Amino acid sequence: MMSDPAWRDSRGRSAELPGDLSSLEEEEEEGDSNAGASSLGSCSSASSDTDLEPEWLDSVQRNGELFYLELSEDEEESLLPETQTVNHVRFSEKEVIIEEDDSRERKKYEPKLKRFTKILKSKRLLPKRYHKKSSNNNGPVSILKHQSDQKTGVTVQQRYKDVTVYINPRKLTAIKAREQPKLLEVLVGIVHQTKWSWKRSGKQADGERLVVHGLSPGGSAMKSGQVLIGDVLVAVNDVDVTSENIERVLSCIPGPMQVKLTFENAYAVKKETIQPKKKKAQSSTNDLVKLLCGSETEGIQPSILGTPHIIMYLTLQLQSEVSKEEQEILYHYPVSEASQKLKSVRGIFLTLCDMLESVTGTQVTSSSLHLNGKQIHVAFLKESDKLLLIGLPAEEIPLPQLRNMIEDAAQTLKFMYGSLDSAFCQVENTPRLDHFFSLFFERALQPDKLHLSASPSAQQYDAASAVLLDSLPAVRWLTLPQELKVELDTVLSDLEAADFEELSEDYYDMRRLYTILGSSLFYKGYLVCSHLPKDDVVEIAAYCRHYCLLPLAAKQRIGQLIIWREVFPSHHLQPPADADAEVFQEPEGRYFLLIVGLRHYMLCVLLEAGGCTSKAIGNPGPDCIYVDQARATLHQLEGVDFRLEEQLASSLGPCLSCADWFLAAPREKTDSLTTSPILSRLQGSTKTVTSPTCRRTFFSDYSFKARKPSPSRSSGGCEPGEGGESVGTSPHTTPDAVRKQRESDGAEDSVALLKLTRKKSTLPNPFHLGNSKKELSEKELEVYNTMKLTSGPDNTLFHYVALETVQGIFITPTHEEVAQLGGSVHTQLIKNFHQCCLSIRAIFQQTLKEEKKKTLRAAEHSESAESVAALTPVKEHGVLFECSPENWTDQKKAPPVMAYWVVGRLFLHPKPQELYVCFHDSVTEIAIEMAFKLFFGLTL
Amino acid sequence: MRGQEVRFICCASQPPAGSPCSAGAAAAAPPPVNRWGTGLLHLNKKGFEKLGLRVSQGVEAGGLLLIRGTTAKPGFPKNLGGTWKRLQSGTPGSQGGVFGVTTVFPTPAQLPFSVVGSLNGVHMFAQNLDVQLNSARTEDTTVVWKSFHDSITLIAVSSEEGASELSLGRMLHMVFGAMVLIVGLEELTNIRNVERLKKELRASYCLIDSFLGSSELIGDLTQCVDSVIPPEGSLMQETLSGFAEATGTAFVSLLVSGRVVAATEGWWRLGMPEAVLLPWLVGSLPPQAARDYPVYLPHGSPKLLERWWQPLLEPLRACLPLGPRVLPEGFPLHGDILGLLLLHLELRRCLFTVEPSPDKEPSPGQRRRLLRNFYALVVTTHFPAGPAEKEEDAGSPAQRPRACYLVLGPGMGWRLVALQLGLRLLLLMLSPQSPTHGLRGLATHTLQALTPFL
Repeated sequence: MMSDPAWRDSRGRSAELPGDLSSLEEEEEEGDSNAGASSLGSCSSASSDTDLEPEWLDSVQRNGELFYLELSEDEEESLLPETQTVNHVRFSEKEVIIEEDDSRERKKYEPKLKRFTKILKSKRLLPKRYHKKSSNNNGPVSILKHQSDQKTGVTVQQRYKDVTVYINPRKLTAIKAREQPKLLEVLVGIVHQTKWSWKRSGKQADGERLVVHGLSPGGSAMKSGQVLIGDVLVAVNDVDVTSENIERVLSCIPGPMQVKLTFENAYAVKKETIQPKKKKAQSSTNDLVKLLCGSETEGIQPSILGTPHIIMYLTLQLQSEVSKEEQEILYHYPVSEASQKLKSVRGIFLTLCDMLESVTGTQVTSSSLHLNGKQIHVAFLKESDKLLLIGLPAEEIPLPQLRNMIEDAAQTLKFMYGSLDSAFCQVENTPRLDHFFSLFFERALQPDKLHLSASPSAQQYDAASAVLLDSLPAVRWLTLPQELKVELDTVLSDLEAADFEELSEDYYDMRRLYTILGSSLFYKGYLVCSHLPKDDVVEIAAYCRHYCLLPLAAKQRIGQLIIWREVFPSHHLQPPADADAEVFQEPEGRYFLLIVGLRHYMLCVLLEAGGCTSKAIGNPGPDCIYVDQARATLHQLEGVDFRLEEQLASSLGPCLSCADWFLAAPREKTDSLTTSPILSRLQGSTKTVTSPTCRRTFFSDYSFKARKPSPSRSSGGCEPGEGGESVGTSPHTTPDAVRKQRESDGAEDSVALLKLTRKKSTLPNPFHLGNSKKELSEKELEVYNTMKLTSGPDNTLFHYVALETVQGIFITPTHEEVAQLGGSVHTQLIKNFHQCCLSIRAIFQQTLKEEKKKTLRAAEHSESAESVAALTPVKEHGVLFECSPENWTDQKKAPPVMAYWVVGRLFLHPKPQELYVCFHDSVTEIAIEMAFKLFFGLTL
Repeated sequence: MRGQEVRFICCASQPPAGSPCSAGAAAAAPPPVNRWGTGLLHLNKKGFEKLGLRVSQGVEAGGLLLIRGTTAKPGFPKNLGGTWKRLQSGTPGSQGGVFGVTTVFPTPAQLPFSVVGSLNGVHMFAQNLDVQLNSARTEDTTVVWKSFHDSITLIAVSSEEGASELSLGRMLHMVFGAMVLIVGLEELTNIRNVERLKKELRASYCLIDSFLGSSELIGDLTQCVDSVIPPEGSLMQETLSGFAEATGTAFVSLLVSGRVVAATEGWWRLGMPEAVLLPWLVGSLPPQAARDYPVYLPHGSPKLLERWWQPLLEPLRACLPLGPRVLPEGFPLHGDILGLLLLHLELRRCLFTVEPSPDKEPSPGQRRRLLRNFYALVVTTHFPAGPAEKEEDAGSPAQRPRACYLVLGPGMGWRLVALQLGLRLLLLMLSPQSPTHGLRGLATHTLQALTPFL
């Protein structure tokens, strides 16, 4: 049945759901975490035995993929007031069909449990909500079927209103004993009295309108505050309802979720033919976008659409015989006026790609052009005879970032679909890609609107850092204390061993379906434990990033998240370098990614089929046993929550200072002539020449430092070398003595500064801990002091990013740490830091590329002429910035100025590492020393 | 020399009226032709001719700029994807009409005419769709298009390491300025006879070549006038203004190997392209006793002929060895400094030298290229205000970059540091033993010491 996919419109774009996004549901969290913990031991078996068929089973798609997300109840309800027009859940026709298909397809591989479920179901032993299918079979096959017929429905805005309410069918179980509960009353809280109901005949008039006669106290309808007595309920999730079918429609609600009710207004003109308002077709496409953007969808769309941006996948092979319009476009997004222009000039890109490659022998990477007075960068990625193009405005996305983005997108698409061709050239992928790229552009153009964050500061931090962090070939890592790490390791290893209960081969006496290659555990978007090869974890993290799962897990408690899909990890699918039998050969298997999310946890498991397990045939859907095991693993970790939370708040990383603290200190210099801070510093430091103590904390006094008169001094102030001192402070030797001297020398400075900051009692003491931890014991203090990254007595470190490419991880201050610092200037500084790092990193990437070329050349033994003309290789790049408070109102005094460095350092040996730090200008910093401290002990 | 890798094409966008276009005229720089217009007079006394000293002088002129309306070029193929192949198979000279392209300059041997045609065609195709194609990059090559007055399109293709869009774009500006200087804007915006134009432009080859090759100067990139600090600046200045008064002109300057030693007020008031171009022009000419050379000022008066003539004056012998050293003898420069570039963003003058510590690595040519690349990097990424526009809105961005440094990788270790202070931008190249944390102090101090000079 339903062989004709009526839900796909002629353009091949689904008017319904995107493939990956089947449902967003809400789970009622029965019992708190304690209850969950208590049932921990038997969780997997318990949930599968008693809960039987999992809620997500209906969401599995035809190709076996699953994207199932429920928010926890409190999150969902907090969402409610904002999302009046958002229908989070539909009774999708597609789902129904798919489920039928799936069950047929999977019959052979069906886990035993599911069969058990079926048996129970057939014996009518299941609770009411599992009767969904039978009810479908009795009535219209798909309740959505109506919808397609009603496209011409009258849409009068003021006449109809949509109210989104939270409905939880599990309430039914409580009152199940009573006979025939009225779902409308029980679930929605609307009292409707049919004329016939008095006569208890049970027979109802055809098509009687559902006038709201009353609202039950505490019901969802009353809570919403928008349902008035006298309103007429005309549709539930766009399905026409009358008194005849309302009960059946409501009974189809499989689990707790938000439901959109369409009412005809009480005072609207009454008409005979009432048809529910037809929702915009693509409203469902952007569910996740909407969820992440909040309710501002109306405001977001126009501004984004006005910005020229485009993704195109073009073929370079033109069949000249068939001169069809736009035949070379295999895929493009979005369809907006601003993007139309970019689409129309694709001839330029095709020509450039073809011509420049033939002239220069290398592939075209980017181009820039002016369009309506706006500069647009276009990045190219050519693969065989296809060309992937992404164009974005230069003022929003600098070119290096765009280059990173296109590579990132291509990598993730390959991870998801195997190759760009298989991603773009299959029509059924189009809605999925539309969704993928709508998120992609949303993240690129409106980074600060995207995250539904708990705190604005975290949101700002996310938006500011995305520029750099999203393009790093690594995952954000949270450094944990040893014992906690061991604990997590053990839990994950237990899962991966897969040798107990249903996972063991003995249990069912059959071959295992999948081998668990490894798993990674994320907490609030931070990688806390990983047993996967670096390439895999980086690719999985990129996938999660593109679907905004990491911020979602960080900001919202996830009721339940289950993602299942076939993936194509490049690491495993690489053709073997040499056919040496000694070397381990990757089996010719298929790979599946299972992501299970619970509260702030996300567990990513990479499964392999084939190899030593049974081969995967067709498109297998998620296997209950593996899902349950993963979930059980997460339940096991519930107790660890608060310790991880503790780590986030005060991580083991170096402590930080807030930029605003340095600005708060008034300038001591009364000198009015000192307009430039550098000048003033010079003057300040020249004074010290006469003073007996050598103030080494200011490094700009390099040439003016008190030093032994040298014979050439008469000729000017600037001399080659600095005698013994410069040797001592050269970047390669850092004797402790020097640092000690610095500390003692700088003492007077810090005392002065400390006094100044103490005046402001609200500010925490910036110079010792970075965050006020008064209750810390002496020993702990010591620990924190050793993690002080900067030299000198003061903590002058503002921010850092350390990238370790061998393990594929990077560390950077946590959201909590940054939030603790606060400060408006500091926020600006962080934004600037990341932007600056992006350009520094672009230079480093050039160096890495050259380095790769050089090793290639060395392998070929063709020493080409070394040229020192280009600025490569670069190993260190620093930029000094000055900043002052934003709104300086004092007209008489010039605003205070604070100078800070952003320094990037690239290490090629022994392993490629990158370090980016931001620190105050007052202390001499040596990047190598900082790097050593930061990278020390940084292991997965 | 990698200068060879810079290729440069100029295309006139109007099809020649019935004239077959030819690619590959003689590239050798012919002696400047002097048959259009009254000339510029160079009077060199014999003794100074040997020293290569020149004084140029101009006449006051009013500013005039010509801008023509857009001309639509209909009839272009919509999709160029397949077309270019057709082009490539043609023979040079026969397909000039395909895009209506005429190369005004001889095309470089490495670029076949078909490629030039495509490069120009893709740009024009974009223009017809109201899209302006600015640049394209492959892994090792950069292409920059610049359209001037809707008449001349210049295209630069460079595979030089470290070639940036900024440097190529500025070079094209200089090239167009040079063309105006020689031919006049009228001739370029209203091309009647391409063949004649091509012939006339041969006079500019020499000057244009000097932008493509590795010059000792940097004015083409920084758009600031290369200067030298004379030992007796005030004396020279006085003599010069005395001379200017005597000859009744406002534009007088004294050059040493392409660098301005001293100039009158009027000279410094010259607009941007010509202030840099004139010394380059003089520098590109073969040493002569006297020259009369007609020029059009691209900015000041693109249509008016300038009259230059120059007698020579007194005690400038001392300036001569200054040439590449730029700074006066005995100026205390830190021993770690290998190269120096100081720009004054308002006066639009710069000091550029790679002479200090000549015995150390790397060679002066390499130092120059490193500093040039560093300048392009710094201006592109960190000090975007650059010399083009000065800092008017100081304070509007809360985070202002002030200085930056770069440490080159293993085997080299040279440090490059840039420091902006007020209207001055200083770039230094330092030897590897200079400690990283002292770079800024060193730069600050050097800048302080140089401030009186510029």
